[in-house]
Amino acid sequence: MASDDELSLLLIVVDVNPLWWGRKAQEEPEFSLSKCIDAIMVLGNSHLVMNRNNRLAVIASHCQESHFLYPSKHWKGGDFASDENSAGSRDGKFELLTVANDLIVQEIKHLTARTQVRGQQTDTLLAGSLAKALCYIHRVTKQLEAGQEMKSRILVIKAAEDCASQYMNFMNVIFAAQKQGVLIDACVLDAESGLLQQACDITGGLYLKIPQTTSLGQYLLWVFLPDPDQRSQLVLPPPVHVDYRAACFCHRNLIEIGYVCSVCLSIFCNFSPICTTCETAFKIALPPVLKAKKKKPKLGT
Amino acid sequence: MDEEPERAKRWEGEFERTWELLVEDESGSLKPSVEDILFKAKRKRVIESQGQIRLGMMRHMYIVLDASRTMEDQDLKPNRLTSTLKLLEFFVEEYFDQNPISQLGIIATKNKRAEKLTDLAGNPKKHIEALKRAVDTTCSGEPSLYNSLSLAMQNLKHMPGHTSREVLVIFSSLTTCDPANIYDLIKTLKSTKIRVSIIGLSAEVRVCTVLARETGGTYHVILDESHFKELLMYHVKPPPASSSSECSLIRMGFPQHTLVSISDQDSKPSFSMAHLDSTVGPGLTLGGYYCPQCKAKYSELPVECKVCGLTLVSAPHLARSFHHLFPLDAFKEIPLEEHQGERFCEGCQGDLKEQNVYICPSCESVFCMECDLFIHDTLHCCPSCVHSQP
Repeated sequence: MASDDELSLLLIVVDVNPLWWGRKAQEEPEFSLSKCIDAIMVLGNSHLVMNRNNRLAVIASHCQESHFLYPSKHWKGGDFASDENSAGSRDGKFELLTVANDLIVQEIKHLTARTQVRGQQTDTLLAGSLAKALCYIHRVTKQLEAGQEMKSRILVIKAAEDCASQYMNFMNVIFAAQKQGVLIDACVLDAESGLLQQACDITGGLYLKIPQTTSLGQYLLWVFLPDPDQRSQLVLPPPVHVDYRAACFCHRNLIEIGYVCSVCLSIFCNFSPICTTCETAFKIALPPVLKAKKKKPKLGT
Repeated sequence: MDEEPERAKRWEGEFERTWELLVEDESGSLKPSVEDILFKAKRKRVIESQGQIRLGMMRHMYIVLDASRTMEDQDLKPNRLTSTLKLLEFFVEEYFDQNPISQLGIIATKNKRAEKLTDLAGNPKKHIEALKRAVDTTCSGEPSLYNSLSLAMQNLKHMPGHTSREVLVIFSSLTTCDPANIYDLIKTLKSTKIRVSIIGLSAEVRVCTVLARETGGTYHVILDESHFKELLMYHVKPPPASSSSECSLIRMGFPQHTLVSISDQDSKPSFSMAHLDSTVGPGLTLGGYYCPQCKAKYSELPVECKVCGLTLVSAPHLARSFHHLFPLDAFKEIPLEEHQGERFCEGCQGDLKEQNVYICPSCESVFCMECDLFIHDTLHCCPSCVHSQP
């Protein structure tokens, strides 16, 4: 059991890509963004109730920005009495949970109302949200009192597909999370995500693709609520097989044996004399050239 | 031999009043000024490392550890040897974290001889175990710089040309006992392009200065334990590649990790090749990494296949080195009063309280000091620049 000095921070990153949610609303009207947010609030409340010292944060990841739904910058914590929206808890619920729920709902409404998708930016900026999440975790860790330990984990709820252009930033974030000891769990609603599989494998988190989206709340409570210490005692979904093969830069095929440039670390499937990325010419080991023996000119008489 | 003018010695310079650097704040605490000094040192490291220079990513480094009589001195607590071993463990972890495809070896020198503690290998565990075991060694005799350097050279000579060959010497004695002329060895080291850097624990020794200067390395003498740590961390980053290092295409394998469970019918337990030379008995394991060329099994990567000689890595190992190739620019530092926007840090969502704020040059977002350090040391990408990608 966790002692009083150990706190656990759960940071939920929700993918609110409006294109994916809009398309989903037409295919499956019973699972909408508000149902998803409900399930997330249930998970958040349960986490806060598990231990007095637990903390929660929620980030919405959109196409243009990542926004902290909770704690929000417009709300200075600890100010329950003078909050004009909720004059005390209406149904006898713990104050903190009421405030959290109301804030999350309010902020997500503002976010979806004010942002518009511009041009070609249709991919969710997941790497940016994770980077901000790590900065937040770093700040909270620094602000702890002496003697308190904090274990943090990030739960990513992913809806849209992966964006290949974010690969490098994503990998930087994953390595930073591994260094800080932060687990990254992933709950995928639709398409399998290779990037998140790698993230979960490297940081030691759980990856799950949900078979039925309507029972999202159940999966969240069953799989992602327990702390990492208790996970060894539960029978959880088995780890997925992660494909760590590299893709060659010339054809984008997955290769098992390749050639790596020693300067820029780009991967090629065939040997070529010049690296296309950094344009260094390579030395090719040639067999030693034998000089032809000079025939002595016959001395003419 | 002595073409460069020597730097002026410390006692020849101006009289420095170093106690005036520490200033008490209102409550009489020295903590803010100490933190300020540490922070400035960190910033200096970030700013110095800018520039588009070619770095030597694949490194082969030997650490030469002085285990002579002077290492029992207690000016570093509890004694120099224990403190050095502790810092070296930390160094080994950071080294493999920042350079995953590099290799490291450890040599210890005492009693006028040099012996290898570990061979050149890419697995941090072996080195850390060897360092832990070395805590019990008795420090005696004199070190031999010649013997340890020639032992390192014998191994580094055979390394391929595209890797950087380095030796890091932790030297605490003021003397060395050599069987032959060390200046000849220095010439040989220079011709085989081995870069020797030295960290001195006692005082500046002339032969070390010459050695570092001729081979292109650095020589520093520590002031205290935190300075020692900082000097070690300086060697974690890849050094600029020398112009004579060859660039070549290295053939590497990317094995798949096969995870089989006991209930799987076709799974057969097999031996891992990594146990061929370890003292732990061979273990039968079910899953692992199979070399794509010869199908030998290994339990961890990166490793060089013992059967066919192919270097086996996984794609994240290469990805770890990418941030060296695309370094993040240093942020602009401006005082809090000049900043017109909201007093709000974009990274951690906290209020800006310190004296200075930091602005990213490409996306103009503002960050607090803690986020700035975190972003440059660990994260290597600006959170807001990621958002403005097309």
